[in-house]
Amino acid sequence: MNDMTPTRAEREARLEGMGCKRKRVEDVRFTQGKGNYVDDIKLPGMLHGDFVRSQFGHARIKKIDASKALALPGVLAVITAEELKPLGLHWMPTLAGDVQAVLADGKVCFQNQEIAFVVAENRYITDDALQLIEVEYEELPVIVDPFKSMAPDAPVLRPDLDGKTTGAHGARKHHNHIFEWSVGDKAATDEAFAQAEITVNHLISYHRTHPSPLETCQAIASFDKVKGELTVYGTFQAPHVIRTVASLLSKIPEHKIHVVSPDIGGGFGNKVGAYSGYICAIVASIVTGRPVKWVEDRMENLSTTSFARDYHMTAELAATRDGRVTGLRVHVLADHGAFDACADPSKWPAGFFNIVTGSYDFPVAHLSVDGVYTNKAPGGVAYRCSFRVTEAAYCIERSMDILAQKLGMDPADLRMKNFIRREQFPYQSALGWEYDSGDYHLALQKAMDTVGYRQLRAEQAAKREAFKRGETRDLMGIGVSFFTEIVGAGPSKNCDILGVAMFDSAEIRIHPTGSIIARMGSKSQGQGHETTWAQIIATELGIPADDIMIEEGNTDTAPYGLGTYGSRSTPVAGAAIAMAARKIKNKAQMIAAHLLEVSEYDLEWDIDGFRVKGNPERAKTMKEIAWAAYNAPPPGLEPGLEAVNYYDPPNMTYPFGAYICVMDIDVDTGVAKIRRFYALDDCGTRINPMIIEGQVHGGLTEAFAIAMGQEIKYDEIGNVMGASFMDFFLPTAVETPHWETDFTVTPSPHHPIGAKGVGESPNVGGVPAFSNAVNDAFGFLGSTHIQMPHDAWRLWEAARRLGV
Amino acid sequence: MQMNDSRRIGAPRDVVWAALNDPEVLKLCIPGCDSLEMTSPTEMTAKVTLKIGPVKATFGGKVTLSDIDAPNGYRISGEGSGGVAGFARGGAVVRLSDDGSGATLLAYEVDAQIGGKLAQLGARLIDSTARKLAGEFFETFSAEVSLDEPVAGPAIELVEAMPAPEVDAAGADVAAPDVAATAKAKSGWLKRMFGAKTMVLLGLLGLSYAALHVCCVDGSHDALAGMVICGGVAS
Repeated sequence: MNDMTPTRAEREARLEGMGCKRKRVEDVRFTQGKGNYVDDIKLPGMLHGDFVRSQFGHARIKKIDASKALALPGVLAVITAEELKPLGLHWMPTLAGDVQAVLADGKVCFQNQEIAFVVAENRYITDDALQLIEVEYEELPVIVDPFKSMAPDAPVLRPDLDGKTTGAHGARKHHNHIFEWSVGDKAATDEAFAQAEITVNHLISYHRTHPSPLETCQAIASFDKVKGELTVYGTFQAPHVIRTVASLLSKIPEHKIHVVSPDIGGGFGNKVGAYSGYICAIVASIVTGRPVKWVEDRMENLSTTSFARDYHMTAELAATRDGRVTGLRVHVLADHGAFDACADPSKWPAGFFNIVTGSYDFPVAHLSVDGVYTNKAPGGVAYRCSFRVTEAAYCIERSMDILAQKLGMDPADLRMKNFIRREQFPYQSALGWEYDSGDYHLALQKAMDTVGYRQLRAEQAAKREAFKRGETRDLMGIGVSFFTEIVGAGPSKNCDILGVAMFDSAEIRIHPTGSIIARMGSKSQGQGHETTWAQIIATELGIPADDIMIEEGNTDTAPYGLGTYGSRSTPVAGAAIAMAARKIKNKAQMIAAHLLEVSEYDLEWDIDGFRVKGNPERAKTMKEIAWAAYNAPPPGLEPGLEAVNYYDPPNMTYPFGAYICVMDIDVDTGVAKIRRFYALDDCGTRINPMIIEGQVHGGLTEAFAIAMGQEIKYDEIGNVMGASFMDFFLPTAVETPHWETDFTVTPSPHHPIGAKGVGESPNVGGVPAFSNAVNDAFGFLGSTHIQMPHDAWRLWEAARRLGV
Repeated sequence: MQMNDSRRIGAPRDVVWAALNDPEVLKLCIPGCDSLEMTSPTEMTAKVTLKIGPVKATFGGKVTLSDIDAPNGYRISGEGSGGVAGFARGGAVVRLSDDGSGATLLAYEVDAQIGGKLAQLGARLIDSTARKLAGEFFETFSAEVSLDEPVAGPAIELVEAMPAPEVDAAGADVAAPDVAATAKAKSGWLKRMFGAKTMVLLGLLGLSYAALHVCCVDGSHDALAGMVICGGVAS
């Protein structure tokens, strides 16, 4: 030992492993404008494609005249459903077991639906050609209100399903009905309501919105006629699934399809599905023999590819007079638009909405969901949440506040009274989930203590009196939200997408000099995987994170995985990484034992290598072991040091959190000022606290947007209104409140490193916190529930209606 | 939507009525009007080029006159298609009355629907554009028809400032009005005015949009009620 020998703390720090606030390595290129996105890719001879889209929400197409467009110099092709029919590609399967028109097949069912695909030498010519295509329509009656969808005389939206009384998820009770899904003990729940001392019942609508990533959906297809190989670059959150679907649809063998997701500028669920643009670009490339690029513009993105929410939830709680909930009954009317293209695991038509019992120990519950068609864009993706979890959290968290109001009880106290207790985990919920771990009382108590909850309530009481006396025109609202997420889809026993089980994967290869390349089936869209995945490996294998290269998105090199959405990366791919690393570690231990001439049982792991138990001076670092693995392996052991793991999770993970929002609303302008927002998240083991904080900031900002104004609206004739950033609220730094973040740590008992996932929690917990604050502000004036979004106009209108 | 307004025109009612029925006058006054042709005494076709925010389109449409009550008013209705930019349909009731000082009060009520890309532009832009276009129409119309003002100078300036030949990125293919031709057309107008031309359009009273958001205070309302949109261009 001399002074140069690093201390254990220094060795540990050098790894920048789990728990380290390591700076995001991908930001080096992003902050210099050196990212490589789909639209940065320019292939030789590349053509550009774009869509003629429907002006109407519902219409028959009588004629498409493309002759003028085809006569325009530079136009190579105009593809319509007629051209796709012989290939069997005019319709495509959706992730939800429905079919969707790739190009309108005689009829359009939503405004901006794809009608024809124009391919030309460049984007300018494509745009000019679009203007020259004449489409003759015959208007049909439009349904935009899901509550009118199943009226007896409602127009038939999907004649292609005519006479089909069964869909992918069972019986259809009306020509515009998609599915009914129910879970829970109905008889016992009805009995709980019959016996209840007190009940509440409210329609809680979660309006239609959109994930709106800054980079829109895009793809480039390049078909090599000589090799018969297809390469597709695209903004794919799940590149392997796209490869499999492309192979099934095009009949091109899967090994001859190369799918590449380069850098992606945000996904939030928008980039999970398969879209007409991908198929048309592929067909156009096969037809022309040249690469074809398709890039959505902003309006196309907001109005056609995968909306989110549009859930209309009638929630009932039964309770005792002292605030013990005895039953929950929920019915959801789910507006899926013109085609059922929800991106949920295939067996779950309403996603994991049955997490709607939230963080509470309800003895019985029953849930039923009816999905219906309307003349709106298809989708229903998990916008920064696990499948339909933010809808469920909003439903139960608003309902608990409505019940508290009726009971005259503090909403935080009502939650404390009904929480699942720490010793009840693993907890079996009334709607069928097994919650892995949690300490809800601790989390909410910490949140309340930190913000000074009781003092805030006292201040609010005083302000209300002052308001009644006319001394102030501000209403103070305190929004409490306590959410439990369900993420990490998922166990193959109940989760698949089109039959593909929802495992994920990692392949780790240590080079002879001790640096690493690792590839995963996940795909970052900004989550920082290149940073955090390396940290898991660094801790597991004792190689500094800076010596680890993470590669995702190339299906030729990455192991098969189901991609990144629904906060599944850390729970599933993160587990695969740890498991693959542990395989390597086992082999490394054998090599170290050989090098140190001891039994492997005499070795113990120590930060960055193995040392002999009781004799720590005798040790081999992972770097030394890596060299030996290739160049001097033990006799009989194959050289090399690498491993692959495919991880099929035994259960979901259940992150949770306690959020408190304090808001002041000016009743004369409707302007709500967020005074304070405190977010405590428990995502189990924390890999990179700085990235977690960034994720929470981003998720809260999106939650703020959704709750306070963001919306995709339709008018009565089916126009999609405000599908641009002029109207669609995307907060900038000017509007965004200051966020305070905090945490508790309750590791997942079944995850190899105890991590649960966090990227989406703030959206799930944030929306009810804002909405509860708004409703809490108005509650004393006699209102029980004000629908979202809570923009200034609507808040002003609420105040006006309440007579203040 | 209801875009209701009225204007005082400095000319007697029968003069205003005749002007309202003169395709030449209307063509001059409708911002961006490329052509206006009568196909029957109560029907005509029109082409109007409009630029609203990022959308520029030429609307081709059919206009019908009904409820004709000379010289007190009529109802015009029509529908037009702007290709990929969208469509518009609707109508306006126009009423003329004497204001007691020899001038005429022209009142109009527009109800219309727009669809396609135009509608998607959102409330603020369409509302303000509609009002601007309606304003331009009546400024020019008033200047053309009013007997209060000298006929020549100021009217030409107005016309020059009028059909908003906004230069868009793709190049200015909205033709700037031919000032000389306009002046020439004007000089012959008074004469023609009494030449008993029948009919024609009032056009383009505007696009407007009124979103009546409904907020649920008592929780009983239909979740989607209140997204009522109106708006329109009659071309």
